[in-house]
Amino acid sequence: MIPAWLLDIFAAVMLVVAAVSAARLMAAGRRSEAATADVDLAHLLMAIAMAGTLTAALKTLPDTAWEVIFGLMTAWFAWRVWRDARANGARALAGGHCAPHLAHSGAMLYMFLALGAPVGGSGMSGMGAGATMGTLEYPALAFVFALILVGYSIWDLDQLSARRYRLPSVGALAVPVGVPAMAAAESAAAAFPGPLSADDPDRMEASPAAEAVAPAAPGSRPASTAVLLSPGIAIGCRVVMGVTMAFMLVIMI
Amino acid sequence: MSDIAAAGGVRPAWRGRLGIGTQAAGTAMDTRRALQLGLAGIWMLDGVLQYQSFMYSKAFAQMLAGTADGNPYVIARPITWDATLVEHHLALLNTIFATIQLLLGLGIAFRPTVRAALAASIAWSLGVWWFGEGLGGVLNGGASPLNGAPGAVILYALLAVLLWPSDRGTPAPFTAARAVGVPVARALWLVLWLSEAWFALTPANRAPQAVSGMISGMDGGQPGWLAAILRGAASLVTGQDLAASIALAVAFVVIAAAVYLPERAAKAALVLAIVVSVVIWVIPQGLGGILAGGATDPNSGPLLVLLALAYWPSRTVTAPAVAAAAERSAA
Repeated sequence: MIPAWLLDIFAAVMLVVAAVSAARLMAAGRRSEAATADVDLAHLLMAIAMAGTLTAALKTLPDTAWEVIFGLMTAWFAWRVWRDARANGARALAGGHCAPHLAHSGAMLYMFLALGAPVGGSGMSGMGAGATMGTLEYPALAFVFALILVGYSIWDLDQLSARRYRLPSVGALAVPVGVPAMAAAESAAAAFPGPLSADDPDRMEASPAAEAVAPAAPGSRPASTAVLLSPGIAIGCRVVMGVTMAFMLVIMI
Repeated sequence: MSDIAAAGGVRPAWRGRLGIGTQAAGTAMDTRRALQLGLAGIWMLDGVLQYQSFMYSKAFAQMLAGTADGNPYVIARPITWDATLVEHHLALLNTIFATIQLLLGLGIAFRPTVRAALAASIAWSLGVWWFGEGLGGVLNGGASPLNGAPGAVILYALLAVLLWPSDRGTPAPFTAARAVGVPVARALWLVLWLSEAWFALTPANRAPQAVSGMISGMDGGQPGWLAAILRGAASLVTGQDLAASIALAVAFVVIAAAVYLPERAAKAALVLAIVVSVVIWVIPQGLGGILAGGATDPNSGPLLVLLALAYWPSRTVTAPAVAAAAERSAA
């Protein structure tokens, strides 16, 4: 039986992710930064839901409410992926910045829908203390989701440590100062219409699919806010959530 | 498969520090890095599997102790000691084991730590091969290619060596030769697959009911569709166990020769290796037992596929050529 303290640790990590996402939402209050709000909001909600699933004491909403929320979230990111795919081709389906969020939302929706009655417990949510841990219906689907989540986490980590998230010249990209990564990416992409090419790396990095980085110019905002709003933080949250989600899916098979 | 995904976008970066020659800009990635990420993914999956409830039960310690059976005393005694230790500190030690494996995956995926993580993964794999798998049953006659011989975990170490981020400076005909050179890479491939052929023909594995029994023994706890596949496969080879063992051995010998064949024949043999690995993973190994719960790792199938891809003939564009392209780009 999985020790309760281990689940508590994962739940605590999720609370940290929720706090960071909430801070990002508050820091990016301006209208021009709304392009990343859905991602941060998704992280916030997923982290709260996962913390509540891992530790019963942190349960916030009924399962039905979470199913509705993640159903809507899945539909939202599916629409954004479809829009990305129309703009940038099929590569957006695998490499676009919305595709991982679609996978995360879908995994959460599946998790809440497929979580069977826990052994020795009465509610659906909450793995707390291990004694009430549920199992998932259609375990093959759980495995497929776990593989996808692991794949995106690995890819994100690789790209996080490569040049994909480097800090480009803000002026060169003609992006408004202070616009966070994905908004900047979309602005930059709008400035460079047409198909992307691997032999134009600056342009690739400025695409939505590449989630280019366009931090604030020095002096335009506090450094701590710039760091908080940097895409590295968002991607870090996504990696942590992907790993935790894969962990949850596998232990509930 | 090309060693360079987009040569036009190559820029010098991380050179020396990461030992990966050059890093292409944007999303461009060479084959070796892609395979490293595959290995990282399998390590991560391995890590999360280790967190399952089964691993926190006494059955896990008993499973470890069971691998000592039939091994020489010098091998078995440390396994027994380790199993006893794990049984007494199950929660703590299993959490440490799982976390180490998770961190190995994350470390390989994170470029600045790829060398350290690969080196650590070699040490960890060798330790698990001994203390967790009893050397894969190689010395006690229990090894079978159908159950992951010579031990799935040793394949992690082999892949870490072959995908080590350095180059010998000479063009390599396939990715696995870049770090260790062509003769060593070929020898490792040959030894691995010939040993698989040997294990397929050992008395225990060519005995009546050996193959069908192993397949039918995997259907417990599996989802209905997979259990049905396993039952169907078991009934198919019932009474044909010796023929199945011989057919497997022949396939393994053909695969072993792949790295010495001309390119077209080599590709055909590597495709055979991939197909055989996938079939072995699905049928006798039941997807590593992951869907049944209680699997400590995904077993050997995915690792053998990754290994076959590392030997896929490339266009021999290696580090020196990449560096030259980078210099031209910088100029």
